[in-house]
Amino acid sequence: MLTKFETKSARVKGLSFHSKRPWVLVSLHSGIIQLWDYRMCTLMDKFDEHEGPVRAVCFHQQQPLFVSGGDDYKIKVWNYKLRRCLFTLLGHLDYIRTTEFHQEYPWILSASDDQTIRIWNWQSRSCVSILTGHNHYVMCARFHPSQDLIVSASLDLTVRVWDISGIPGKPGGLRKKNVSPGMGGLVGGDDHHTRNPELFSTGDATVRHVLEGHDRGVNWAAFHPTLPLIISGSDDRQVKLWRMNESKAWEVDSCRGHYNNVSCVMFHPRQELILSNSEDKSIRVWDMAKRICLHNFRRDHDRFWVLAAHPTLNLFAAGHDSGMVIFKLERERPAYAQHGNLLYYVKERFLRRLDLTKNKDVAVMQLRAGSRSPVYSMSFNPAEHAILLNSRTHNLDNSTYDLYQIPKDSDPQNPDTPDSKRSAGLTAVWVARNRFAVMDKSHQLVIKNMQNEVTKKVTTQPCDEIFYAGTGMLLLRDSDGVSLFDVQQKRVLGTARIAKCRYVVWSGNMTTVALLSKHTILICNRKLERLCSITETNRVKSGSWDDSGVFVYTTSNHIKYALTNGDHGIIRTLELPVYVTRVSGSSVYCLDRQATPRVLTIDPTEFRFKLALVQRKYDEVLQMVRGAKLVGQSIIAYLQKKGYPEVALHFVKDERTRFLLALECGNIDVALDAAKALDDKGCWEKLAEHALLHGNHPVVEYCYQQTKNYDKLSFLYLITGNLAKLRRMMKINEIRKDYEGWYTNALYLGDVPERIRVLKACGKTSLALLTATTHGFTQEAESLAAHVEEGVMYEPLPNAQLLQPPVPVYPSDTAWPLLTVAKGFFDSAVGSGKNAATASAMAVSVDDAGDIAGDGWGDEDEDDDVDVPMEGGEGEGGGWEVEDDLDLPPDLEGVSTAGATDGEDGYFVPPPRGHPPTQGWTQRSHLALDHVLAGAFESATRLLHDQVGVVNFEPYRSLFLSSFAHCRTSYPGAPGLPSLFSYPARNWRTATHKDHLPALGLKLSSLMDRLKEASQLTTAAKFTEAVDKLRGILLAIPLLVVDTKQEVSEAQNLLRVCKEYVVGISMELYRKGLGKATPEEQCRSLELAAYFTHCELQPGHQILTLRTAVNLAFKMKNYKMAMSFGRRLLNLGPRPEIAQNIRKVVQVCEKNPVDEVSLQYDEHNPFTVCASSYVPIYRGKPEVQCPLCGASYLPEHRGITCTVCTVAQVGKDCVGLRISPLQFR
Amino acid sequence: MANQDVDELFEVKNSFYIGNYQHCINEAQKLQPSTPEVRLERDIFLYRALIGQRKYGVVLSEIKPSSPAPLQALRLLARYLQSPDGRPTVVSELEAQLSGNVDLSNTALLVVAATIYCHEENYEGALRVLNQSDALECRALMVQTYLKMERPDAARKELKTLQEKDDDATLTQLAQAWTHIATGGEKLQDAYYIFQELMDKNASTPVLLNGQAVCFLGQAKYEEAEGALQEALDKDSNNPDTLINLMVLAHHTAKPPEVASRYLAQLRDDHKTHKFVEDIKIKEEEFSRLVKQYAA
Repeated sequence: MLTKFETKSARVKGLSFHSKRPWVLVSLHSGIIQLWDYRMCTLMDKFDEHEGPVRAVCFHQQQPLFVSGGDDYKIKVWNYKLRRCLFTLLGHLDYIRTTEFHQEYPWILSASDDQTIRIWNWQSRSCVSILTGHNHYVMCARFHPSQDLIVSASLDLTVRVWDISGIPGKPGGLRKKNVSPGMGGLVGGDDHHTRNPELFSTGDATVRHVLEGHDRGVNWAAFHPTLPLIISGSDDRQVKLWRMNESKAWEVDSCRGHYNNVSCVMFHPRQELILSNSEDKSIRVWDMAKRICLHNFRRDHDRFWVLAAHPTLNLFAAGHDSGMVIFKLERERPAYAQHGNLLYYVKERFLRRLDLTKNKDVAVMQLRAGSRSPVYSMSFNPAEHAILLNSRTHNLDNSTYDLYQIPKDSDPQNPDTPDSKRSAGLTAVWVARNRFAVMDKSHQLVIKNMQNEVTKKVTTQPCDEIFYAGTGMLLLRDSDGVSLFDVQQKRVLGTARIAKCRYVVWSGNMTTVALLSKHTILICNRKLERLCSITETNRVKSGSWDDSGVFVYTTSNHIKYALTNGDHGIIRTLELPVYVTRVSGSSVYCLDRQATPRVLTIDPTEFRFKLALVQRKYDEVLQMVRGAKLVGQSIIAYLQKKGYPEVALHFVKDERTRFLLALECGNIDVALDAAKALDDKGCWEKLAEHALLHGNHPVVEYCYQQTKNYDKLSFLYLITGNLAKLRRMMKINEIRKDYEGWYTNALYLGDVPERIRVLKACGKTSLALLTATTHGFTQEAESLAAHVEEGVMYEPLPNAQLLQPPVPVYPSDTAWPLLTVAKGFFDSAVGSGKNAATASAMAVSVDDAGDIAGDGWGDEDEDDDVDVPMEGGEGEGGGWEVEDDLDLPPDLEGVSTAGATDGEDGYFVPPPRGHPPTQGWTQRSHLALDHVLAGAFESATRLLHDQVGVVNFEPYRSLFLSSFAHCRTSYPGAPGLPSLFSYPARNWRTATHKDHLPALGLKLSSLMDRLKEASQLTTAAKFTEAVDKLRGILLAIPLLVVDTKQEVSEAQNLLRVCKEYVVGISMELYRKGLGKATPEEQCRSLELAAYFTHCELQPGHQILTLRTAVNLAFKMKNYKMAMSFGRRLLNLGPRPEIAQNIRKVVQVCEKNPVDEVSLQYDEHNPFTVCASSYVPIYRGKPEVQCPLCGASYLPEHRGITCTVCTVAQVGKDCVGLRISPLQFR
Repeated sequence: MANQDVDELFEVKNSFYIGNYQHCINEAQKLQPSTPEVRLERDIFLYRALIGQRKYGVVLSEIKPSSPAPLQALRLLARYLQSPDGRPTVVSELEAQLSGNVDLSNTALLVVAATIYCHEENYEGALRVLNQSDALECRALMVQTYLKMERPDAARKELKTLQEKDDDATLTQLAQAWTHIATGGEKLQDAYYIFQELMDKNASTPVLLNGQAVCFLGQAKYEEAEGALQEALDKDSNNPDTLINLMVLAHHTAKPPEVASRYLAQLRDDHKTHKFVEDIKIKEEEFSRLVKQYAA
């Protein structure tokens, strides 16, 4: 039993749950009806109008009504919104035991000690029917939830089932089928019955069954919600289960166990359980099928009187002698574990996996049967794909855990039940890839391996629960805190104080952790140092860390967020509790109590904003400010409170707020602007005060001027040494006739004559005289003395001195030098925002350009298709295979055992060295690259020599060496020792030591890319670079390794394309190198240009060659040739302007289709060009070829090194290109 | 909580084994050793960490002739690693020491001897030395030596004894990872997890990152490898393993050849005596010979 809420009061006799709100009505023996909010744990209202005990109370399902009945014989109908009793139904002649609203009809059912059951219409406020038949107190009467039946229990030892389908007064049409045909017409009769119920009429409600079997009075009876079953509880201490059909009802069985009167009994609304309570101070839960007692919840002093079930939630309430308790029978929190985008959770008896990104939910396995208790929690191990499921029983000592290996692939419809390793233990959690920790019932900690064997016992401080804390760590919970424990070192690394921590939620990168207890959240760092704590009034249910480091959690009615600095707030409200599994963007993934995955959408703006502020990511802040979803008084107040007035400043339009914020963050300039706009005396004074603190005296002066504060202004001039203005102030005071100010200024200036003038002007002649005499102004003194009477003459002080204000050293009229303050982000944000936008726009345009260029060359490689030439080297391949078998690695097993036995004898004989995988490569493969990678250059060169006739290896130097350098990776072992080498395999998934082959770096596709580059170089007429690049490709092709026939032919194709280009471009380079002086040279040039047009180039390039040829031929007046070139060009579809130009040339040539000079060129006779002498070799004429690139040569060039690929010997008899193991089959 | 079997030097040793030398040194200097034995052991790890950081001079000047025997052994190692020219003398000195009565409790000497033998590629010698001791570290070194000899079967066998001794020790875990890498295939993923676990538990170091990178490269997971290697490069820009692996990575991700050759050049400059560089040198010569042979 999980107690959710308890109240203390007088004896509770009646209970009713509200169907929607978290409210429960409690009627007391003292006559009071209480309305509680059990979620907030508050008493909402009290209704006190009954005299004497109130035994019956019931909420209406839809209306804001409830009905109560008491020992004052009254049935009262109340409106809880209006908080008053609406009316009272009178009629019962004794205590009222139960009252109940009907689900559909406007009816109230009441049972009374006057031996009757009455049905009332609360709309017409009248009695509909009186059911008589019981001959003792009727203790309880209940409607059937769906049929027109009533069950009643009485102290006359019987339970009766009544058929009420005959009762008139039901609203028409609602249940016509239940109303017998004859009744519909008797409208008048209906009215008669409603108004004047006949006391002893039983015509409309009939007793269907009388259930006899209890030996004492029956206190309670109830229908099963769906099955034709009845349960009853009696003073004979038994609970009886009855079954009924249309014609009869019979006793099924009794549940014995209570040892005092059973006061109330009910079916569980959704499970096969019976709940009963009794005056023996216990609540018992029975198995409905087996009729055995499953649980017994006892109280020490309180007899139980009444039970109620929530209509939709798994909540129960029980009333007893001193109050009420709200409880659940079992936890409703689904067990789940989240890893990356995968959520594992238990639903029914299946472990399910939900892919949060793809929203794909499958059952991955069925849990082993045999454990009745639900899965309490789980711990998932991604490395081993294993899961620990903890099951807790009511008696914690019997708890077990199961270790499952999750099947890799499983039929989602009918998943397997893999074997599990089950052991006793409270909690099991992973501590490492292949280790988990188990806390047993005596709270001892053991570490187990994947075989569920104990590897280590760990002694810890006393603790009662363990939680996951990353590799090698555990969180240990004791009564007042949680400690971080290093399992290997057996040391506590940190402790956090939190009472009764229930759940632990680590952030994705394990840097922060949230410890959840019933009403508190404590957020700590990795070392369990406290970052902040939050107290909630509602229960904290679950939480998850956002990727940005915000903790999003749920309470029983809210989704909330918390930042690690302690800021927290509500995101949205919840109808029902949910368990957050993951937060990503604006989606909150959660499981509800039925373990159904749900996605809730939240608005993350507020916490993102606050987070951005905390992390000082002002660009984000600004972006959100511009989004302007947030601006409001509350956010400004927040910013001010949290010490970001400078940020708030940028929100605010209101000048007064702006002024205050500017002062707060010391931004005098902004404050000055605001003050000018406001022009308010208070503002100026405040600004002056702040500006003075900042030493910004021009602003202070300005403020004083604005407020006409002459005294302060004077003093300001004095202290800033601004004597000129001080003097002007004096003049102003003189004009204003402010003698005091005038005199003060004169004093400040040390101006004695002025002082005398002031004193004179204000009529203090004697003082003026005194001043004059004291300071030795004899002339003035004499003229004054005349005006002064004798009696008021002051004696001048003998040793008086003139006090002169110090001379200003540095009369500054600008502000005092201030400390430089770095310009805040917000001062420059606007400008930079624009720049960024243009930059990104440029980036886009560049990208576009790149795309276009790529497309231009993209598709030509696939068009060409050349038949794979038949291999000639099969015999040789067979020969190699024999060798393969012979060269198996030596029998390692035998040797090593020998070594071991020797070791036992006391002499340690190190085993012989083995061979690195590289050695196997040369044995298994006849591909040149594998030999190069293995470092077997000798055999590699031999292979290349034999296969493609390479004789000049120098160009291969870098290819060989770099390939060799890439064949192995290196990893450090123990400190100080030389590193170990590892040899990545291309077949690493399946490779064993015997068929290991090296991983490949060079790929056909990357060569294709290089071809594209070369092609671009050709277009750009960078011929030398293009040839270098093409040769590079040519050389690399024999060092390819490919898997399919198609790739082999592609590679051969590539070889041919490269050859054509290299021959053509070399020829063009040669032509350009020729002089143009002599006619012979010109002829040769035209010839070469003509040959070039016959190289198999891409159309784009061919157009270029043809244009050159047209121009040359035209210039040499070989119009026929030019015409032919021109036509060929036009067939290739050049750009319109070129086409037009060429058409003109063709037209001109057509008029005179003759050739001026004759050339060694026959365009209609197919030919290849000798790559050495650049002359045509017409088809059928003898020629020799390069074994690697296939370039043609005149026979006399046999034996030279090919000029195209620069490595192979022309005319050498070779096997041919071998780049795939397929070619050896 | 005071626990008797807490190892005072745990942090020092652990960070040393995973190559977190600076942390090892810091911890060692912070430590207040409870007994002279612990003090000596601490010093051993302190100097070994310094050697790991290639600060041979510091070690040579701080270890006096009067220092205890284990430290003398470390001095020998520092001398060996400092100058390639003096190596033969160091080796002969070592042989002299080993031919006498060897104190088997002096693990440092055994480790130093094995280390030098391994550098000399005298793996058999190394094994003979190591086999005499039962210490966990010696056994772990044996695993590595077997792997060096391309005998993963023997390594696995030795690993078993190691696991029986203490399965959870960092050295056991590391040795297991080495063996997994040598086995290849699916075991690479296991090795990866071991390195990841050690990183989670402690800190990421070039040693662990390179181990992971090798797993990634072996599994053709080039993006992940790049991440690990970049982090390793940030931590130590001149680590030969990182450079080698980066070179392999560049090759497999079709980077321009200059990238790889830059790493190679850096290797040649700073790690002349590294086996990898030496191998390349040998191969270059072999290639030149072959070129001549075919040209003739």
